[in-house]
Amino acid sequence: MTEIFSTLFGQSEAQGPQGPGTLGFAPGKPPPLPQTQAPAPPQIPAQPGDEGPAARKPGVMNEPFYLLRELPAGNDLTGNTNLITHYNLEHAYNKFCGKKVKEKLSNFLPELPGMIDCPGVQDGSSLRSLIEKPPVCGNSFSPLTGALLTGFRLHTGPLPEQYRLMHIQPPKKKSKHKHRHHRPQDPIPPAETPSDTDPKKKKKKRDDDPERKKKKKDKKKKKVGKVTKQKL
Amino acid sequence: MAEKFDNLEEHLEKFIENIRQMGIIVSDFQPSSQTGLNQKLNFMITGLQDVEKCRQQLNDIHVPLEAFEYIDQGRNPQLYTKECLERALAKNEQVKGKIDTMTKFKSLLITELGKVFPEEMAKYKAIHGDDPPS
Repeated sequence: MTEIFSTLFGQSEAQGPQGPGTLGFAPGKPPPLPQTQAPAPPQIPAQPGDEGPAARKPGVMNEPFYLLRELPAGNDLTGNTNLITHYNLEHAYNKFCGKKVKEKLSNFLPELPGMIDCPGVQDGSSLRSLIEKPPVCGNSFSPLTGALLTGFRLHTGPLPEQYRLMHIQPPKKKSKHKHRHHRPQDPIPPAETPSDTDPKKKKKKRDDDPERKKKKKDKKKKKVGKVTKQKL
Repeated sequence: MAEKFDNLEEHLEKFIENIRQMGIIVSDFQPSSQTGLNQKLNFMITGLQDVEKCRQQLNDIHVPLEAFEYIDQGRNPQLYTKECLERALAKNEQVKGKIDTMTKFKSLLITELGKVFPEEMAKYKAIHGDDPPS
């Protein structure tokens, strides 16, 4: 559309200074193009009042517009439609965006053992390293024979400390609530005084008190007893 | 479709459980545990064979690499799905806004051009048809 305006206003300037009525601002017929413009293609017949040459399709030959192109084919699917309803993703949207999705990987895979919430880069278990340096594939898996199994004879005894943390799972939150419920049932030892209600002092005394350890063992025995009674 | 995922999931769970039990055996090894350990090692190899068999059924499954980044950071990969959906909706709304604005602009422009160039606009509408006002 702007090209139409430029051709209209450009024609008036090329012809020299004229009155405002003939500059093309007022509604009416535009002035004809000068002959210095690009030559018309041979198939277009010259008509009176015609603006002149233009690269046109045969269907619109007699139109006064220059460089008027056909509108692009309309696409049924545009941003005007709600694409989530179009692709039937409402259920997925409500599931993931309606509710709060938990942040940690252990919430997605609760049964997976080990410390999976830590970044994979720390212990070399990242998936990206697996993609960048893929392991050797293609060989078949064959069971280990007696001779090969001799390589797996281990020394007796516990593992060194540096390797022990591999199988430890992160502490479950439920166990803390259980301890809180059971604490008021504990009998108050006679050594406790009102000054011992300070939580820091309590913690220190609990660690040092051997009677506390005995009471913990008693609690475990009681719990086992309760479990067996429930089963019966 | 879901069956092949369930099959793979089952094999992986068994494999992981086997590895976990091996870890427990090895953490405090006793001489009597050797035969059990050997058995677990062979279970591990059969587990890998089972996972290898599942691989052929899942050749057409593609996982986006961005989801792997979430897993490597210890984050829930469902957050990636959530963020994809939110970004798609935001972009959808943005494009719809642009379309609505351009449609309004077009109708305004045609109206104003019709006032200034009525004959030309009549010819233009004859070519492209009467556009419905937005």
